[in-house]
Amino acid sequence: MTATVTTPGRRRARIIGRRAVLPWLFLAPGLLLALVFKFLPMGKGVWLSFFDVRPFLGDQWVGLDNYTRVLTDHRFQDAIGHTLVLGVGMSLGGILVGSALALLLEGQARSLKIIRTAVFLPVVTATAVVGEMWRLMYYPTSDGLINSGLGLLGLGPVPYLDNPDTALWATMAMGIWMLAPYNMVIILAGLAGVDRSLYEAAAMDGVSLWQRLRHITLPAIRPALGIVLTLAAIRGLRVFTEVYVLTGGGPAGSTDVWMTRAYTLGFTRNDIGGASAASVVLLCVTLLLTVTVNYLRKRGDVR
Amino acid sequence: MRDRRRCTAVRLHRVHRLAATLAVSGLLFGTAACGSGSGSARAGDPNTLEVWTRSDPESAQTYDRVFAAFTKKTGIDIDYQPVMNFDQQLQSRASTKDLPDVMINDTALMGSYQAQGLLKPITPASIAGHDEITAKSWSSTVGRDGRHYGIPYSRQAMTLFVRKDWREKLGLPQPKTWQDTLALAKAFATRDPDGDGRKDTYGMVVPGSAQNGYVAWWGSSWLWQGGVQILRKEGTGYRPAMDSAAALRTVTWMKNNLFCGDNGVIQPSALTSVTANTTNFQDGNAGMYLTGPYNISTFDKALGKDTYEVLPAPAGPAGNDVLADGENVYFGAKTGKAKQEQALAAFLVSPEGQTLAMTGDHQPVVRIPVNSTLSAAKVRDDPRWSVVQKAYETASVQFPNAPDFAPVKQDTADALNAIFTYCGSDVRSGLKELNDTLAGDLKDQELLK
Repeated sequence: MTATVTTPGRRRARIIGRRAVLPWLFLAPGLLLALVFKFLPMGKGVWLSFFDVRPFLGDQWVGLDNYTRVLTDHRFQDAIGHTLVLGVGMSLGGILVGSALALLLEGQARSLKIIRTAVFLPVVTATAVVGEMWRLMYYPTSDGLINSGLGLLGLGPVPYLDNPDTALWATMAMGIWMLAPYNMVIILAGLAGVDRSLYEAAAMDGVSLWQRLRHITLPAIRPALGIVLTLAAIRGLRVFTEVYVLTGGGPAGSTDVWMTRAYTLGFTRNDIGGASAASVVLLCVTLLLTVTVNYLRKRGDVR
Repeated sequence: MRDRRRCTAVRLHRVHRLAATLAVSGLLFGTAACGSGSGSARAGDPNTLEVWTRSDPESAQTYDRVFAAFTKKTGIDIDYQPVMNFDQQLQSRASTKDLPDVMINDTALMGSYQAQGLLKPITPASIAGHDEITAKSWSSTVGRDGRHYGIPYSRQAMTLFVRKDWREKLGLPQPKTWQDTLALAKAFATRDPDGDGRKDTYGMVVPGSAQNGYVAWWGSSWLWQGGVQILRKEGTGYRPAMDSAAALRTVTWMKNNLFCGDNGVIQPSALTSVTANTTNFQDGNAGMYLTGPYNISTFDKALGKDTYEVLPAPAGPAGNDVLADGENVYFGAKTGKAKQEQALAAFLVSPEGQTLAMTGDHQPVVRIPVNSTLSAAKVRDDPRWSVVQKAYETASVQFPNAPDFAPVKQDTADALNAIFTYCGSDVRSGLKELNDTLAGDLKDQELLK
C-alpha cells in the first residue's frame, strides 16, 4: 500500500491525464473513420505515386519518374492555365455574386426567406444534374434556353460549349451559379453580426450607401470573407465534376483542368501511378495556397 | 417506382464518383470490400464459379437466365456479379491477388489485361464447340505472345441508321458512298424533312468528344473506309501510321465536310457529345447515325420500326469497312478451376447459350452470335440483324488488341477532336504530332518497331 501513496502533484497529473484523455476518447470514432477513409488512402496515394502500378504483377519502384512525366506533359501544362483561370474566376465571381445576393436578400421578411431558399437550391443539387441542365441551357441552337433568349434580341445562336474560345467561360458561369449561394449563406451569417447601431449612427451622419458598405459592412464581414476565400481557393483548384459533366475537358482540351487530366490518366489509360503523382502535386499546391491565404488573413487581422 | 429508380441512379452515380475519388487517392481496399462481397466467401468451393460481367441491372437479368440454365445442366453453381465500374473494381481485386474465375468484358481490353498478367492463356481446342467459332473471331483473341487470351462471346459491327421516312419524302436514294451520305445529310439539314416548317433538323449524329476516346471509336470506321490504319503491324511490333497520305486525305475530308462544312450536316453539339447525351436521332431531329446495333431496341421504342432503316456503312475511297468490337470471355489468372471454367465457356458459346443471351424480355447481351451455326436475324426474327451480321463477317476491322489499345485510342481521340475543333488548323501537323505521341505509347509498351 505504501507505494500507492500519491503526492498532490501526482494526483493532479493523473486528473489532468484523465482530462486530457477524455476528449480524445470522444474524438476517437471520428478520427478513426478519418484515418481509415482519409489519411491512409492519402498516404497510399502518395506511396503509389512513386511506382509503376501493376496490381497483379507487383508494383515497380520508378522514383520520381511519374512526377517528371506529369509535369513535362504539355497537356498537363495546358491544364494548369485552365485550372487557374477557372479557379480564380469561379472564386472571385462566386464571392462577388454571393456578396451581392447576401446584401440584397438580408432581412427577416418571409418573402426573403423563400427567395433565399430558392437561391440556395443549386448548392444542394447534385453537380451531375446541374451539369446536364446547363448542357441543355447552353444548347447551341435556338432550341437552347439561353440561345432562344438571345434569339429574341436578334442575336446568336452562340455555340457556348463547342467553341474552344468560349467553353471555359461557359463552364465558369455554371461554377459561379453553383458557388455563389453557398458564399451567400456564410456572408449572410457575417452580416447578421454587424452592429445595427453603427448603421443608425451612419444614417444620422448622412453617409452615402457606398460609404456605408465600405466603412461598416465590409470590415464587419471580413472574417466571413476570409473563410469564403479559403474555401473557394481549395475548391477552385480541385474542380472536376463541373468540367467532367459539362464538356469532358473538350473541345480540343480547351477546358481540360488538372483533375480531369488526372482522371483520364488513371482510368482511361490505366496509369494509376501517374494519376497519383498528379493528385499529389495538386495536394501540395492546395496545401501551400491554403497556408498562404491563412497567413495573409491572420497578418491582416493583427494589423 | 420511377422515383426509386431515379434514386438508385443518383446513388449509383454517387457511388461511381466516390469510387473514382477513392481510387485516385489510392483507397484500394475500400473498393475491394464492395467488389468481392459474397465472392470470396465461396471462393474455395471448387463447384462454384465467380463470374463478373460489365452489365447494368437490365442486362444482368439476361445473364441470370443464361447462368441458371448452365447450373441446371451441369450442376456447377455461378456466383454472378454484374459490375458497372468493372475496371476499377477489377484493379482492386487484382491488388488482393484474388481474381474472379470468369469475366465477360470488351474485346478492346484484352491487351491491357494481358499486359497486367490478369488472364490465363486459353487453348481453343480445350473448349467444346470451339470449331463452331469462325477463324476470324478466334484471331481477334490472340495476344502479344501468339497465344489466345479470350474466347469470343458476342460481336457487333457498326451500321448506318437512316430515317427512311425522311429519305423517301425527299425522294433520295439509300446512300452508297461518302458523297451520297454528305448529300443526304445536307438535304436532311436544309429541306425540312419533318415538315414542321422550321429549320431544326440535322443530317447526321456524331459523338465527337474526346472523353473516353469517343471520337476515335466513332471515327475509326471512317478511317478504315479511307484506307487508314492507326497502327501498322511490323514483325513482332507496331508502328504508328497516322502520318500516312491516306490519313491526311481522310481526316481532311472529315474535317472539311462534316465538322467545318455546311451548318447542320452534323448536330451542333457534336464536339462535346458522348453517346449517352447524343440523342438527336432518337429524339427525331437528326437523320443518320453510324453506330452499333445495341441501339436497335432503343430506336424501335422511340421512333418505331418502320420509320428508320439499317444500312451497311457507305463506302469511302478504300471500301466500306466498319469498326467491329464485342465482348470476350476471359479466365482470371491463377484460379485453379480450369475444368469448370471451360465447361462454362463451352456453354456460353454453344447454340443454346448464345440463343438464350440473344432473346428474352430484357436487354440481350449477345448481339451477333460468335457461333457460326446461328443467324442473328433468324434467332431474333428480324431481318435488320442480317445487315449487322454481314457487316461483321465481310467488312469489319477491330482495333488491334495485342497492344494495350487504351492509350492509343485516347491519344487518337484527343488529336482528332482538336483537329475537328479548330477549322483553320493544319491537319498535317496535327497528325504528325499524333503520330509522335502514338510512337511514345508504343515505346512505353516496348512494342515500337
